[in-house]
Amino acid sequence: MSTIVHAIDRRGALSLLAGGAALGVGRPSLGQGAAGRVIVVGGGFGGATAARYIRRLDPAVEVTLIEPAERFYTCPFSNLYLGGLRDFESLGHGFDALRRAGVSVVHATAEDVDTAGRTVRLSTGDTLPYDRLVLSPGIDIRWGALEGYDEAAAEKAPHAWKAGSQTKLLRAQLEAMEDGGLFVLVAPANPFRCPPGPYERISMVAHYLKTNKPHSKILVLDAKDQFSKQGLFTDAWAALYGDMIEWVGLSQDGKVVRVDADAREVETEFGNKHKAAVLNVVPPQQAGLIAERAGVTDDSGWVPVVPATFASAKVEHVYVVGDATIAAPMPKSGFCANTQAKVVAAAVVADLAGRAPPAPVWVNTCYSLIAPDYGISVAGVYRVMDGKIAEVEGSGGVSPREADAAFRKREADYGAGWYAAISADTWGA
Amino acid sequence: MGRMRAAFLAAIIGMPIATASGALAETDATITLLAAGCANCHGPDGHSPGAMPTIAGASVDVLKAKLLAFRKDEAPGTTVMVRLAKGFSEEELIALAEHFASLKP
Amino acid sequence: MSTANVAMQVGRTTRRAVLGGLSACVVAPGAMAGPAAWEGVPAVAALLAGVEPRRDGLALQLPALTEDGSSVNVTVVAESPMTADDHIATLHLFAPRNPSPEVAAFHLAPGLGRAEISTRIRLNESQTVIAVARTNKGEVRLAAREVTVTTTGCLVPSDQTTAGVMQEPRVRVGPSLPAEVRTIIDHPMETGLRQDSAGRPVPERIVREVIATAGETILLRAELFRSVAANPYLRFFVDGQAPVELQVTWVEDTGARVSATVQVPAA
Repeated sequence: MSTIVHAIDRRGALSLLAGGAALGVGRPSLGQGAAGRVIVVGGGFGGATAARYIRRLDPAVEVTLIEPAERFYTCPFSNLYLGGLRDFESLGHGFDALRRAGVSVVHATAEDVDTAGRTVRLSTGDTLPYDRLVLSPGIDIRWGALEGYDEAAAEKAPHAWKAGSQTKLLRAQLEAMEDGGLFVLVAPANPFRCPPGPYERISMVAHYLKTNKPHSKILVLDAKDQFSKQGLFTDAWAALYGDMIEWVGLSQDGKVVRVDADAREVETEFGNKHKAAVLNVVPPQQAGLIAERAGVTDDSGWVPVVPATFASAKVEHVYVVGDATIAAPMPKSGFCANTQAKVVAAAVVADLAGRAPPAPVWVNTCYSLIAPDYGISVAGVYRVMDGKIAEVEGSGGVSPREADAAFRKREADYGAGWYAAISADTWGA
Repeated sequence: MGRMRAAFLAAIIGMPIATASGALAETDATITLLAAGCANCHGPDGHSPGAMPTIAGASVDVLKAKLLAFRKDEAPGTTVMVRLAKGFSEEELIALAEHFASLKP
Repeated sequence: MSTANVAMQVGRTTRRAVLGGLSACVVAPGAMAGPAAWEGVPAVAALLAGVEPRRDGLALQLPALTEDGSSVNVTVVAESPMTADDHIATLHLFAPRNPSPEVAAFHLAPGLGRAEISTRIRLNESQTVIAVARTNKGEVRLAAREVTVTTTGCLVPSDQTTAGVMQEPRVRVGPSLPAEVRTIIDHPMETGLRQDSAGRPVPERIVREVIATAGETILLRAELFRSVAANPYLRFFVDGQAPVELQVTWVEDTGARVSATVQVPAA
């Protein structure tokens, strides 16, 4: 069947849509009676923020949020739980406030997207139509990319890079570890979720061990030679934890090439073997599966986007936010997912109303906690320059290398303030 | 937002100055989006649940003076705001100060 | 696998210097664009000398996206029986948008058993990396691959300092045949394009050659340029049909040499 559909869309422009029965003759370009139907997939920092802000900007838009979990547990601050500074439930956020804001929340998994027919198929069997789709899929582990590290291995050597049972498993292993044991963290090459995350985790594990099991040691085997906020972390490690932490980078044979989860042993590129009492593997990652199903990923496994709007660079009427996107120099952080979602919300509302989107500005601040009273941060402001996302010159940067204890304490307090604020902004109070 | 301020913002943000409601809506959207970036730390609409100060309903003069001082690095001991304020123009910071001052405390 | 028993002979101790992992950000003029634009890269054009390269039989493996341009894994693989009569003789690697496009040139002998080399390179910005292979009979092949660099190697601040000496060679031989050989040595690969914290230019100081020999036979000679990442890494194969003692020698541009010896197959 060969059909040519001429349609006048809301912008009044003539669209010529060629071929494909999937399009359907005379299919209205927008949901009837409404300003448009938007489906948001993923209830994390990116998705929940997009859903809320679309409703805020235009209450006439129908917004459906698809998220399997009834409570969403955040990766940010899960390291504080590992360090014994927070209880697990404090990381959980429900969706009642989103419902009160008029978002219809469906607890299901989005299994597939038909981008031609503009529908999303759910694990419940339902198929929902959309005018615009926002994907906030987060990351998936690339199982098998690191030899020996598959889903079964993760039950013995947890990644804890998605908050939930994995985080609890790692905490339980830490609690069960004998004083004097070796905690080994395997850190991946870039790009991966939360660049300072592995090093904050090391700091929080060190805090726990120093407090409870002071003869223990920590070894970081890293597939890179440099990491986020490196000088600030290493200064603080030396000052607070003495010789407890050893970091080995790529050039010093830090790259792990094989994991034996049963033996809790890893082997490096140049054949060194390290046996751990607790083995935490942060493995290679890619965009969450639904991104691939929707056809928005590229060869790298991540999602290219149009910088000004975070519309997919590959598929029409689809927007993507958060860790899944190629947005560097913006890092893969919850903060960035949240600000990207606000840009997407503004762009989607403008798009549905036939207006140009507002000029985007993105902000990021990542706090890392090294000890209860010792916080550090990296910040940045980003805009589109020469068609690319770029950090505004002169803005941003890390906490000063030389700062007094009061400054570090203040950043620790601001870190907690940030978590409270962004949680309220994303999921509502 | 008042028409004059909208026109002023349109001028600084580089949007076409027009009195048509469409252009006003675009300018509003721009300031709304700028302000949304503050909520991550200062809370929804500037109502902070944590250690950061609530900025909703604060004195416009105080907000302006602080933001401009951050931008010029004239606020010793400040943690992140000196790094963030440099990412915005003076006009944007003034618009943000006016926006948050106009909200209910 | 067994770690090499490393014999070290440091020819000369150079002065201590700050790590120069990062080249200065100078954009190459006349940078190439478009899929078949290697003709616009003088170094590649000179190498091709008017010969139209085959576009098959050679693969260039690089991540499509990298967030750290100061060290990017690259593997070049050519289809070849690697016999005395029919083998890849040279492999060249180019990064046309780097300050100096030539990255490395590898001279291969049939005894390698496999025409596959990996190293780690610096990429100043997003660009199309190019590999050119030439067989012993003069046939030329070309492969190109686009890489997106989202944070330039120039801008990543490093807190690390490494002694400016060439030291700690490591060689590892894999258990199966052809035997996989991984080598690395500590060295800043100072580009000569960087200034120190006082604003003084830091002179170029690189490892310019890595030579792998079995007895009198040179199996591999790698010429390295300043676009090779700090702590130069090299991975190659040795056919291992007969057990050999493999000697790997690193040569600095000062003339200083360091060697390491391993058994292939691994004992």
